[in-house]
Amino acid sequence: MLKKTPSGDKIGLIIDLLLLQKNNNEMESANTNKRRATDNVCISYTGLFDSEILTILAQGIEGTLTSNDKVTKKVFKIFLELAQNISQYSLEREPNSSGESMGVGTMLIKEYDDYFQFSTGNKTTMESIIPVIEKCDNINSMTRDKLREYRRLQRNMPASNKGGGNIGLIQVALTADNPIEYGVVKCEDNNYFYIVSVKINK
Amino acid sequence: MPAVDFDSITGKCVIKGESFLEETAKFYTPLVEWINRYLRTAKRIELILQLKYFNTSTSKWILTILGVLKEFERNGGEVKVEWYYYKDDTDMRDDIKDYILGSNLKIDMKPFVE
Repeated sequence: MLKKTPSGDKIGLIIDLLLLQKNNNEMESANTNKRRATDNVCISYTGLFDSEILTILAQGIEGTLTSNDKVTKKVFKIFLELAQNISQYSLEREPNSSGESMGVGTMLIKEYDDYFQFSTGNKTTMESIIPVIEKCDNINSMTRDKLREYRRLQRNMPASNKGGGNIGLIQVALTADNPIEYGVVKCEDNNYFYIVSVKINK
Repeated sequence: MPAVDFDSITGKCVIKGESFLEETAKFYTPLVEWINRYLRTAKRIELILQLKYFNTSTSKWILTILGVLKEFERNGGEVKVEWYYYKDDTDMRDDIKDYILGSNLKIDMKPFVE
Protein backbone atom coordinates (compact mmCIF):
# COMPACT_ATOMS: atom_id res chain seq x y z
CA MET A 1 0.00 0.00 0.00
CA LEU A 2 2.65 2.47 -1.06
CA LYS A 3 1.07 5.85 -1.40
CA LYS A 4 3.32 7.11 -4.13
CA THR A 5 4.80 5.53 -7.21
CA PRO A 6 8.30 6.68 -8.12
CA SER A 7 8.23 8.74 -11.28
CA GLY A 8 10.40 11.07 -13.32
CA ASP A 9 13.46 12.31 -11.48
CA LYS A 10 12.80 9.94 -8.66
CA ILE A 11 13.24 6.92 -10.93
CA GLY A 12 16.53 8.39 -12.10
CA LEU A 13 17.63 8.78 -8.52
CA ILE A 14 16.67 5.22 -7.66
CA ILE A 15 18.66 3.99 -10.66
CA ASP A 16 21.63 6.06 -9.53
CA LEU A 17 21.53 4.64 -6.04
CA LEU A 18 20.96 1.07 -7.19
CA LEU A 19 23.90 1.38 -9.57
CA LEU A 20 26.11 2.74 -6.84
CA GLN A 21 25.11 -0.19 -4.68
CA LYS A 22 26.31 -2.69 -7.27
CA ASN A 23 29.95 -3.64 -7.47
CA ASN A 24 32.36 -2.09 -9.94
CA ASN A 25 32.35 -5.01 -12.36
CA GLU A 26 28.64 -4.73 -12.79
CA MET A 27 29.03 -1.01 -13.23
CA GLU A 28 31.49 -1.54 -16.09
CA SER A 29 28.87 -3.44 -18.02
CA ALA A 30 26.38 -0.62 -17.71
CA ASN A 31 28.34 2.21 -19.25
CA THR A 32 25.38 4.40 -20.13
CA ASN A 33 23.93 4.17 -16.69
CA LYS A 34 27.34 4.55 -15.13
CA ARG A 35 27.77 7.91 -16.77
CA ARG A 36 24.36 8.90 -15.54
CA ALA A 37 25.10 7.76 -12.00
CA THR A 38 28.23 9.85 -11.78
CA ASP A 39 26.84 13.10 -13.26
CA ASN A 40 27.14 16.03 -10.83
CA VAL A 41 28.35 13.74 -8.04
CA CYS A 42 30.31 15.35 -5.20
CA ILE A 43 30.47 12.36 -2.88
CA SER A 44 29.20 8.83 -3.24
CA TYR A 45 29.71 5.86 -0.99
CA THR A 46 28.34 2.36 -0.74
CA GLY A 47 29.16 0.00 2.08
CA LEU A 48 29.18 -0.35 5.81
CA PHE A 49 28.05 2.69 7.81
CA ASP A 50 30.03 2.47 11.03
CA SER A 51 31.56 5.23 13.12
CA GLU A 52 34.93 5.08 11.33
CA ILE A 53 33.33 5.51 7.92
CA LEU A 54 30.99 8.20 9.21
CA THR A 55 34.02 10.16 10.40
CA ILE A 56 35.73 9.83 7.01
CA LEU A 57 32.56 10.82 5.14
CA ALA A 58 32.06 13.75 7.51
CA GLN A 59 35.58 14.97 6.74
CA GLY A 60 34.85 14.46 3.03
CA ILE A 61 31.74 16.64 3.21
CA GLU A 62 33.48 19.42 5.10
CA GLY A 63 36.48 19.23 2.78
CA THR A 64 34.57 19.05 -0.50
CA LEU A 65 31.60 21.37 -0.03
CA THR A 66 33.50 24.49 0.87
CA SER A 67 31.90 27.20 -1.28
CA ASN A 68 29.06 28.11 1.11
CA ASP A 69 29.53 27.51 4.81
CA LYS A 70 25.85 27.77 5.68
CA VAL A 71 24.88 25.22 3.05
CA THR A 72 27.75 22.92 4.03
CA LYS A 73 26.48 22.93 7.60
CA LYS A 74 23.01 21.97 6.38
CA VAL A 75 24.37 19.13 4.27
CA PHE A 76 26.44 17.94 7.22
CA LYS A 77 23.46 17.93 9.58
CA ILE A 78 21.40 15.96 7.08
CA PHE A 79 24.27 13.54 6.65
CA LEU A 80 24.37 12.94 10.42
CA GLU A 81 20.74 11.88 10.50
CA LEU A 82 20.45 9.87 7.30
CA ALA A 83 23.78 8.07 7.67
CA GLN A 84 22.88 7.01 11.20
CA ASN A 85 19.53 5.75 9.96
CA ILE A 86 21.39 3.41 7.60
CA SER A 87 23.76 2.39 10.36
CA GLN A 88 20.91 1.51 12.71
CA TYR A 89 18.05 0.40 10.49
CA SER A 90 19.38 -1.07 7.23
CA LEU A 91 18.28 -4.67 6.75
CA GLU A 92 21.62 -5.52 5.14
CA ARG A 93 24.21 -5.77 7.89
CA GLU A 94 27.88 -6.60 8.28
CA PRO A 95 30.21 -6.70 11.25
CA ASN A 96 32.60 -3.79 11.64
CA SER A 97 36.18 -4.13 12.90
CA SER A 98 34.89 -4.48 16.47
CA GLY A 99 32.47 -7.22 15.48
CA GLU A 100 29.38 -5.02 15.90
CA SER A 101 26.60 -5.46 13.37
CA MET A 102 26.29 -2.27 11.33
CA GLY A 103 24.02 -1.30 8.45
CA VAL A 104 25.07 -1.29 4.81
CA GLY A 105 23.75 1.30 2.41
CA THR A 106 24.47 3.95 -0.16
CA MET A 107 24.94 7.69 0.10
CA LEU A 108 25.04 10.16 -2.76
CA ILE A 109 25.56 13.91 -2.82
CA LYS A 110 25.03 15.68 -6.13
CA GLU A 111 25.52 19.33 -6.87
CA TYR A 112 23.42 21.36 -9.27
CA ASP A 113 23.41 25.07 -10.08
CA ASP A 114 20.91 26.04 -7.39
CA TYR A 115 20.98 23.17 -4.93
CA PHE A 116 22.63 20.06 -3.56
CA GLN A 117 20.74 16.80 -3.57
CA PHE A 118 21.47 14.48 -0.68
CA SER A 119 20.24 10.91 -1.04
CA THR A 120 20.64 7.67 0.83
CA GLY A 121 19.42 4.17 0.10
CA ASN A 122 19.27 0.95 2.03
CA LYS A 123 17.51 -2.38 2.07
CA THR A 124 14.48 -2.80 4.25
CA THR A 125 11.30 -4.83 4.66
CA MET A 126 7.83 -3.68 3.69
CA GLU A 127 6.74 -3.89 7.34
CA SER A 128 9.51 -1.48 8.34
CA ILE A 129 9.07 0.94 5.52
CA ILE A 130 5.34 1.67 5.68
CA PRO A 131 5.50 3.69 8.93
CA VAL A 132 8.53 5.58 7.62
CA ILE A 133 6.69 6.53 4.44
CA GLU A 134 3.67 7.62 6.44
CA LYS A 135 5.96 9.72 8.59
CA CYS A 136 7.48 11.35 5.47
CA ASP A 137 4.02 12.19 4.14
CA ASN A 138 3.02 13.61 7.50
CA ILE A 139 6.17 15.74 7.69
CA ASN A 140 5.71 16.98 4.13
CA SER A 141 2.16 18.10 4.91
CA MET A 142 3.28 20.42 7.72
CA THR A 143 4.30 24.06 7.68
CA ARG A 144 7.70 24.92 9.12
CA ASP A 145 6.15 26.20 12.36
CA LYS A 146 4.07 23.04 12.74
CA LEU A 147 7.14 20.96 12.07
CA ARG A 148 9.07 22.75 14.82
CA GLU A 149 6.19 22.16 17.19
CA TYR A 150 6.13 18.48 16.19
CA ARG A 151 9.88 18.26 16.86
CA ARG A 152 9.40 19.76 20.32
CA LEU A 153 6.73 17.17 21.09
CA GLN A 154 8.81 14.27 19.77
CA ARG A 155 11.85 15.43 21.69
CA ASN A 156 9.89 14.99 24.90
CA MET A 157 8.98 11.41 23.99
CA PRO A 158 11.16 8.50 25.18
CA ALA A 159 14.02 7.54 22.84
CA SER A 160 13.58 4.49 20.61
CA ASN A 161 15.13 1.20 21.70
CA LYS A 162 18.02 1.76 19.30
CA GLY A 163 18.80 5.03 20.99
CA GLY A 164 17.60 7.07 18.06
CA GLY A 165 15.91 10.34 18.66
CA ASN A 166 12.92 9.27 16.53
CA ILE A 167 12.98 12.76 15.11
CA GLY A 168 15.70 12.38 12.49
CA LEU A 169 13.39 12.85 9.50
CA ILE A 170 11.79 15.91 11.08
CA GLN A 171 15.26 17.37 11.54
CA VAL A 172 16.14 16.53 7.93
CA ALA A 173 13.05 18.32 6.60
CA LEU A 174 13.64 21.37 8.81
CA THR A 175 17.31 21.58 7.89
CA ALA A 176 16.75 21.11 4.17
CA ASP A 177 13.71 23.40 4.24
CA ASN A 178 12.37 21.29 1.40
CA PRO A 179 10.06 18.26 1.24
CA ILE A 180 11.45 14.78 1.81
CA GLU A 181 11.34 12.75 -1.37
CA TYR A 182 11.30 9.01 -1.12
CA GLY A 183 11.05 5.94 -3.29
CA VAL A 184 10.82 2.21 -2.79
CA VAL A 185 11.68 -0.55 -5.26
CA LYS A 186 11.39 -4.29 -4.84
CA CYS A 187 14.68 -6.20 -4.83
CA GLU A 188 15.38 -9.63 -6.30
CA ASP A 189 15.42 -11.14 -2.80
CA ASN A 190 11.86 -9.87 -2.21
CA ASN A 191 13.03 -7.21 0.20
CA TYR A 192 12.86 -3.53 -0.69
CA PHE A 193 15.36 -0.79 -1.47
CA TYR A 194 14.28 2.45 0.18
CA ILE A 195 15.68 5.80 -0.83
CA VAL A 196 15.22 9.13 0.83
CA SER A 197 16.36 12.34 -0.77
CA VAL A 198 16.26 16.05 -0.05
CA LYS A 199 17.29 19.18 -1.88
CA ILE A 200 19.30 21.81 -0.06
CA ASN A 201 19.03 25.17 -1.77
CA LYS A 202 22.23 27.17 -2.26
CA MET B 1 32.46 13.04 20.62
CA PRO B 2 31.88 16.25 22.58
CA ALA B 3 34.21 17.53 25.27
CA VAL B 4 32.85 18.12 28.76
CA ASP B 5 34.54 20.39 31.27
CA PHE B 6 32.61 20.37 34.54
CA ASP B 7 34.20 22.29 37.40
CA SER B 8 32.45 21.23 40.60
CA ILE B 9 34.03 24.13 42.53
CA THR B 10 32.66 26.91 40.31
CA GLY B 11 29.61 24.97 39.14
CA LYS B 12 30.47 25.66 35.51
CA CYS B 13 29.75 22.88 33.03
CA VAL B 14 30.89 23.33 29.44
CA ILE B 15 29.82 20.92 26.67
CA LYS B 16 31.46 21.69 23.36
CA GLY B 17 32.47 20.27 20.01
CA GLU B 18 30.43 17.86 17.95
CA SER B 19 28.04 15.26 19.30
CA PHE B 20 26.99 12.64 16.80
CA LEU B 21 27.68 9.56 18.81
CA GLU B 22 25.86 6.38 17.85
CA GLU B 23 25.20 5.38 21.44
CA THR B 24 24.49 8.66 23.14
CA ALA B 25 23.22 6.98 26.32
CA LYS B 26 26.70 5.64 27.09
CA PHE B 27 28.08 9.16 27.03
CA TYR B 28 25.25 11.21 28.50
CA THR B 29 23.91 8.90 31.23
CA PRO B 30 27.06 9.33 33.39
CA LEU B 31 27.05 13.07 32.70
CA VAL B 32 23.43 13.43 33.85
CA GLU B 33 24.25 11.37 36.96
CA TRP B 34 27.26 13.60 37.59
CA ILE B 35 25.15 16.76 37.32
CA ASN B 36 22.44 15.28 39.57
CA ARG B 37 25.05 14.34 42.17
CA TYR B 38 26.56 17.82 42.04
CA LEU B 39 23.16 19.50 42.40
CA ARG B 40 22.34 17.63 45.62
CA THR B 41 24.58 20.02 47.54
CA ALA B 42 25.06 22.94 45.11
CA LYS B 43 23.41 26.34 45.11
CA ARG B 44 24.10 27.28 41.51
CA ILE B 45 25.07 25.79 38.18
CA GLU B 46 26.15 27.34 34.92
CA LEU B 47 25.74 25.34 31.70
CA ILE B 48 27.55 26.49 28.59
CA LEU B 49 26.75 24.75 25.31
CA GLN B 50 29.09 25.20 22.36
CA LEU B 51 28.03 22.41 20.02
CA LYS B 52 28.78 22.91 16.36
CA TYR B 53 26.80 19.83 15.40
CA PHE B 54 24.63 17.42 17.30
CA ASN B 55 22.37 14.62 16.14
CA THR B 56 18.75 14.23 17.17
CA SER B 57 19.64 11.49 19.61
CA THR B 58 21.92 13.96 21.38
CA SER B 59 19.18 16.59 21.21
CA LYS B 60 17.04 14.50 23.56
CA TRP B 61 19.85 14.34 26.08
CA ILE B 62 20.29 18.10 25.97
CA LEU B 63 16.61 18.45 26.82
CA THR B 64 17.07 15.92 29.65
CA ILE B 65 19.92 18.00 31.10
CA LEU B 66 17.88 21.20 30.79
CA GLY B 67 15.01 19.41 32.55
CA VAL B 68 17.31 18.52 35.45
CA LEU B 69 18.38 22.15 35.67
CA LYS B 70 14.78 23.37 35.56
CA GLU B 71 13.90 21.09 38.46
CA PHE B 72 16.89 22.44 40.38
CA GLU B 73 15.70 25.98 39.69
CA ARG B 74 12.17 25.13 40.89
CA ASN B 75 13.72 23.96 44.14
CA GLY B 76 15.47 27.27 44.67
CA GLY B 77 18.75 26.70 42.84
CA GLU B 78 20.35 29.33 40.64
CA VAL B 79 20.69 28.33 36.99
CA LYS B 80 22.47 30.09 34.17
CA VAL B 81 22.51 28.65 30.64
CA GLU B 82 24.43 30.07 27.70
CA TRP B 83 24.19 28.53 24.25
CA TYR B 84 26.73 29.54 21.60
CA TYR B 85 25.93 29.10 17.91
CA TYR B 86 27.37 30.26 14.63
CA LYS B 87 25.70 33.52 13.66
CA ASP B 88 24.74 32.24 10.19
CA ASP B 89 23.31 29.01 11.53
CA THR B 90 19.68 30.10 11.62
CA ASP B 91 18.54 26.48 12.03
CA MET B 92 20.47 26.25 15.29
CA ARG B 93 19.11 29.63 16.37
CA ASP B 94 15.53 28.42 15.82
CA ASP B 95 16.34 25.16 17.56
CA ILE B 96 17.59 26.97 20.66
CA LYS B 97 14.38 29.03 20.71
CA ASP B 98 12.47 25.74 20.66
CA TYR B 99 14.59 24.48 23.57
CA ILE B 100 13.61 27.59 25.52
CA LEU B 101 9.95 26.74 24.90
CA GLY B 102 10.50 23.04 25.60
CA SER B 103 12.48 23.46 28.82
CA ASN B 104 10.88 26.65 30.16
CA LEU B 105 14.38 27.82 31.12
CA LYS B 106 15.97 31.14 30.31
CA ILE B 107 18.75 30.48 27.82
CA ASP B 108 21.13 33.23 26.76
CA MET B 109 21.65 32.83 23.02
CA LYS B 110 25.18 33.77 22.05
CA PRO B 111 25.78 34.15 18.32
CA PHE B 112 29.38 34.26 17.22
CA VAL B 113 31.33 34.48 13.99
CA GLU B 114 33.79 31.76 12.98
